[in-house]
Amino acid sequence: MFYDVTFHVEVTFPILDPWADRDTATVLHLLTELSHSASVLPPPPPRYTIPVAYAAGAANGMAVPVVETNNTISHPEGGCPLQVGEGTYTLKDDLLLATPPPHPSEAPIVNPNPLATVPTPPTAGVKLSLVSLDPRKKPPTFLKTAVTAPPFGDGNPALAAPAPPAKDALKRRKPKNNIIKSSSSFVSRVITHETSAKRLSDRDPNGIFAFANINRAFQWLDLNSAQKEEHLTKVLFTKAHMLCHDINDLTKTSSHLDIVMGSSAGDIIWYEPMSQKYARINKNGVINNSPVTSIKWLPGSENLFLASHANGVLVVYDKEKEDALFTPEVTHQPDHDASRYPLEVLKSVQSKNQKTNPVSYWKLANQKISHFSFSPDQRHLAIVLEDGSLRLMDYLKEEVLDIFRSYYGGLICVCWSPDGKYIVTGGQDDLVTIWSFPERKIIARCQGHNSWVSAVAFDPWRCDQKTYRFGSVGDDCRLLLWDFSVGMLHRPRTHQTTARHRTSLVMPSTQTSNRHRADSGGNRVRSDSERTEKLDGDLDPMASHPVEPRARTALLPPIMSKIVGEDPICWLGFQKDCILTSSLEGHIRTWDRPNDSVVSHDPRL
Amino acid sequence: MKALFHRPKTNGVSPPFPASIIPHARWYSRACALVALASAPSPTPAPVKKEPQTPQMSPLEKRLQDMGAIRGDGSDKFFGMENIRYTDPTGHSPVQYGNTCYCNSILQCLYYSVPFREAVINYPQRTPVESLEAALAKNLRFQNPNAHLEAEALAAKQKATAPSPTSRGAGVPPNQPQKPEDKDSPEYKKKVALQTMPILETKNNAASYGMSESLFTSLKDIFESLVGSQSRTGIVRPQQFLDVLRRENEMFRTPMHQDAHEFLNLLLNEVVSNVEAEATKQSFVEKPLPPTESADSLGMLTTSTGSKSPNTTRWVHELFEGTLTSETKCLTCEKVSQRDEVFLDLSVDLEQHSSVTSCLRKFSAEEMLCERNKFHCDNCGGLQEAEKRMKIKRLPRVLALHLKRFKYTEDLQRLQKLFHRVVYPYHLRLFNTTDDAEDPDRLYELYAVVVHIGGGPYHGHYVAIIKTEDRGWLLFDDELVEPVDKNYVRNFFGDRPGLACAYVLFYQETTLEAVLREQAQEDQASSTAASDVGDAGKTNGYPLNSNLHHVNSASQLPSEDHGRFVPIHRTSTAPQMMPTHHEGPELEPSSAPAGAPAVQPPQPPLPPIPDEQPPPLSPKKSDVAAKKEKARLKAEEKEREARLKAEEKEREKAEKKGRKEADQQRQQAVQREAEELRIAIERSKAELNDVGPENGSPKKSFNFIKRSSRSLSQRLSKDKEPRMSMSDLASPPLPETPTTESEAERSAVPSKDAPSPNISNPKLLSRAGPPPVKENKIEKTGHTHRWRSLSFKKTT
Repeated sequence: MFYDVTFHVEVTFPILDPWADRDTATVLHLLTELSHSASVLPPPPPRYTIPVAYAAGAANGMAVPVVETNNTISHPEGGCPLQVGEGTYTLKDDLLLATPPPHPSEAPIVNPNPLATVPTPPTAGVKLSLVSLDPRKKPPTFLKTAVTAPPFGDGNPALAAPAPPAKDALKRRKPKNNIIKSSSSFVSRVITHETSAKRLSDRDPNGIFAFANINRAFQWLDLNSAQKEEHLTKVLFTKAHMLCHDINDLTKTSSHLDIVMGSSAGDIIWYEPMSQKYARINKNGVINNSPVTSIKWLPGSENLFLASHANGVLVVYDKEKEDALFTPEVTHQPDHDASRYPLEVLKSVQSKNQKTNPVSYWKLANQKISHFSFSPDQRHLAIVLEDGSLRLMDYLKEEVLDIFRSYYGGLICVCWSPDGKYIVTGGQDDLVTIWSFPERKIIARCQGHNSWVSAVAFDPWRCDQKTYRFGSVGDDCRLLLWDFSVGMLHRPRTHQTTARHRTSLVMPSTQTSNRHRADSGGNRVRSDSERTEKLDGDLDPMASHPVEPRARTALLPPIMSKIVGEDPICWLGFQKDCILTSSLEGHIRTWDRPNDSVVSHDPRL
Repeated sequence: MKALFHRPKTNGVSPPFPASIIPHARWYSRACALVALASAPSPTPAPVKKEPQTPQMSPLEKRLQDMGAIRGDGSDKFFGMENIRYTDPTGHSPVQYGNTCYCNSILQCLYYSVPFREAVINYPQRTPVESLEAALAKNLRFQNPNAHLEAEALAAKQKATAPSPTSRGAGVPPNQPQKPEDKDSPEYKKKVALQTMPILETKNNAASYGMSESLFTSLKDIFESLVGSQSRTGIVRPQQFLDVLRRENEMFRTPMHQDAHEFLNLLLNEVVSNVEAEATKQSFVEKPLPPTESADSLGMLTTSTGSKSPNTTRWVHELFEGTLTSETKCLTCEKVSQRDEVFLDLSVDLEQHSSVTSCLRKFSAEEMLCERNKFHCDNCGGLQEAEKRMKIKRLPRVLALHLKRFKYTEDLQRLQKLFHRVVYPYHLRLFNTTDDAEDPDRLYELYAVVVHIGGGPYHGHYVAIIKTEDRGWLLFDDELVEPVDKNYVRNFFGDRPGLACAYVLFYQETTLEAVLREQAQEDQASSTAASDVGDAGKTNGYPLNSNLHHVNSASQLPSEDHGRFVPIHRTSTAPQMMPTHHEGPELEPSSAPAGAPAVQPPQPPLPPIPDEQPPPLSPKKSDVAAKKEKARLKAEEKEREARLKAEEKEREKAEKKGRKEADQQRQQAVQREAEELRIAIERSKAELNDVGPENGSPKKSFNFIKRSSRSLSQRLSKDKEPRMSMSDLASPPLPETPTTESEAERSAVPSKDAPSPNISNPKLLSRAGPPPVKENKIEKTGHTHRWRSLSFKKTT
């Protein structure tokens, strides 16, 4: 085994952190650089050291810094314009978040053993949660009628009981603990900007706040600030990485933001940045100890949020309830092959016991849940898993409706069209797939990525009743934009159509024949006889849909494809005036929209 | 299997044997000495103290628990393969590092391809079990599982009492650094494995197959002895296989690092030709094979997969062979000419930040043939510009994908390794099929990955990560076999530190139903990972008792968590507890008859007796012990839980103690860290100093260049006749024979192709039989690919 190893050792001694009101932090690190260039120097046999948890950061290609550094902003020359029909999106800036140095308790890795069998904890690239208090920046809605979905757990008196007194309704309840003064072993330290109070009071009240995770840090940024690269607050956790986070849209005010974030240790933090208060939920993984892969507030709920865990479990938590050791409430027949059930409700929202978390607990599979998304009508849930399935749920009724499968490989991301008619997924088959929700079938496969698709999002400002615009980003460092319209998709596929294939692709008959095949082909995950009594008889039985052959599925090309960085892109967001992406190593890029590119329309049309 | 050869063995007590009379003694004693050195600095060398280590189950043994009776199909054998040290026949150079990892990793990948294994075993026919067993009784050598401990103890004693005796002095390299050996290091584990595991060594048994000795028969020797072995674990010594390989292929005769993909290709081609040569020889003798007989004889042979194939000689083709169609459209006359060629594996160019899917798509992307690389159009009669694309017309059952990580760089005049991040999914379908391909949506699953570790093509190490039929993913690192997490497979995309990248991917055909079934049964990789995170974290001083605690609480979930997934066991929950649990079973074997392996947990090898008796037999002692142990474990678990709770309380108390203490702790941590750092630096410095001269040489680089195009060149040529025979292979006619272009090309890039491709390996050529013209043509293809990858290259 031949290695060429050069060691650069940089030792840094006590660093005084002016912002931390905590003690002086001493940091000591070793920077190792493995040069790949060959040399005459005979290489040593491999060193096999046991990697430590921090390896995850380095292992994912992030440069591990030595000391606490600052975010930097750059304006790349030549920009990175995105040219599409409506005009050119110009790159405004590229904000690089600083990767925090490893926690002092984490030994640096000198020469990692590439074959070490110790699993590294999961880590995630930078994801953003954006919030604006400006009602004009709200994405347009396409729903013809107002949302009429009942609240989650409607009809359960145990859940409805602790209604707040009316006079306090406007006063938001905050978490209990002060994060700055916390002595928790979970939070390492908090760095607040020296002028953060002033910045907060002076800011444009309608500007956009961004919250971003990077490595073990969680940063609060003001994207409309003149010095937007300077964080307002940076929370450093000891070991756990925050993998996902979400802001409650219902409870946001200029003095209150409810943020939940899920960590690689399974712990969830409820954080209120204005008052720097926090609470820890699922502490030490008491309810579920596997990493939180995705987290979202239940639409229309002030208190409840849904978290997906890497062991295939969906849990609804209440931000204000205490944890209790979770024991499944539903008795389980041992002879039943649990895997045949698309959903095991181990605690129902209708349970009488609602004094403590969890509110509900559903086991979907024994595979990792990659991502989930709530439908705009607030009744349905689209969940994608590592096993390559897309599962549609009526979460109010705690039922799985349909299971679709990727072309191959796991699915990574999912989102709904603003009108709730379409679902778009991205996965390890390098494809973005469009599914029709009302028709319950695949609409098209979108080919254009050169690697796995890590995030998809609709651009509601470029959607109307007939045409849809969405974007996707992936491990190939690309941003792709796609347009599709109902008419376009129903046209027969021109690409690669041969005489022996059917030319008409998306016909109503296709669906029925699929259904039939699903019934007879033994593909169903659950047959009627096995259904629980809870399901209504007239409901269409839950169907597992087979994979559509390539020759019968429409193929959609992108309208724009651009390499926007040098590291995998892992998040994409559309705002009224810009497109944002964030990357694995912490690049947050913002593109301004071309003038007049936002479709103005009457949502009630 | 008949003629067998025993490596002299240290059965029972093992004093270091005299070097003079044992063929491998030189290496042997060195190994012992190393182990001895390892233990030397330890202050307590008493064997009693060490004892508890032995019965501690290895992770592999844990995963192999409750396997039931030995199966007849070989799917339950998990052997490491010895990295054979190369001894220079001339005796000039000293014993080299073993460098046969290229061979080991590929052999393992092939063994765990069910249809391939079955085909090899059943062609021309399966060796009757009785004779196999008889052979194995001699073949499999059991070692004293305590050998390494005894050696250690002995060495320690020797060290304490007297200066080293002669036998030891001979083996120890004088400059061996006196540093403590890391017991967790793979090197150490490999050494221990070599000394404790049963060693399976094969000897030519070709006659009993009715064949003459060839690479195929020696491969069959290995497979059959593995299948017939009564032990589930051990180490195969592929010496005889390597002997044959080296006898017939000059390029493998050096101790140098070899290319695993090249070896795979050679092996498959060789097997094809061996089998076909045999078939032509026997064609008039009539070699009917009762296909059912072998299945009956073992009863356990699966009827599904490959059992049908052996009565034809085309089973390698049926498994690995696919057909590529290259469509060339002359831009002058617009005529499209098609040519089919078969392939045994696909070599794809890589791009930074891409996926295997995308690489395959690029493989089939349209390509312009222009300038120096024009196309000879039969229609227009001359060199013309043309468009060419290659698509897959017939999909192989096993798709071997070679990622071209070694790329020729013009300015450096040699091959360089590309560390591009190329992601590969667990499942795959091919986009680049022709419209008339049969089953174009065929689903493949990843079942093996050959990983290359190292900075360049001329050195490094290969390991294989393989999905076994029912024991999950295993890492095969020469002698070492370790169970790994499913996620582990994804560590080799190429972007992580440590220079380890996937190099050859093996995908096998599967069905969605099979995938769904497997997914349903899969152990909760994630929760295992979570608990492992706990373990990993513990080493970092993070208070983790809580995590462990939750592992326990999770196990209280009814059935769905654990009960259902018996096959795969968690490996990480409580390793530190193990020694105490095992005290019982460990003492037991002292009453065992001498000669049998002394101390063993239920798993390991007792010669002809199946490891675990099926129910009818009265419970063995070990079973009772196991039960006892279970109870004990339970109690232990409770206790631990209680303790953990207490610990957690304590910890919380400690948390409250405030900042001052935290500060102190941190300082301590920093100090500790500084200490570690210092040690690490010292160690790495020492390492940099104590390495030998490099193997690679400029001459070698030429070899490599020449061989790099072979993956394409070894697509056996195939014309109209779909069935391939020797004569077909040898026949020259090709529709497009662009002699001129290839000549032009050669002159254009002389440095790359200077050595004629048929020098090093005449055998290969004579077998595959492409005439020189053909070879040139193919080489051209190889280059165009290289150019293509060049043009795509952006960052490294």
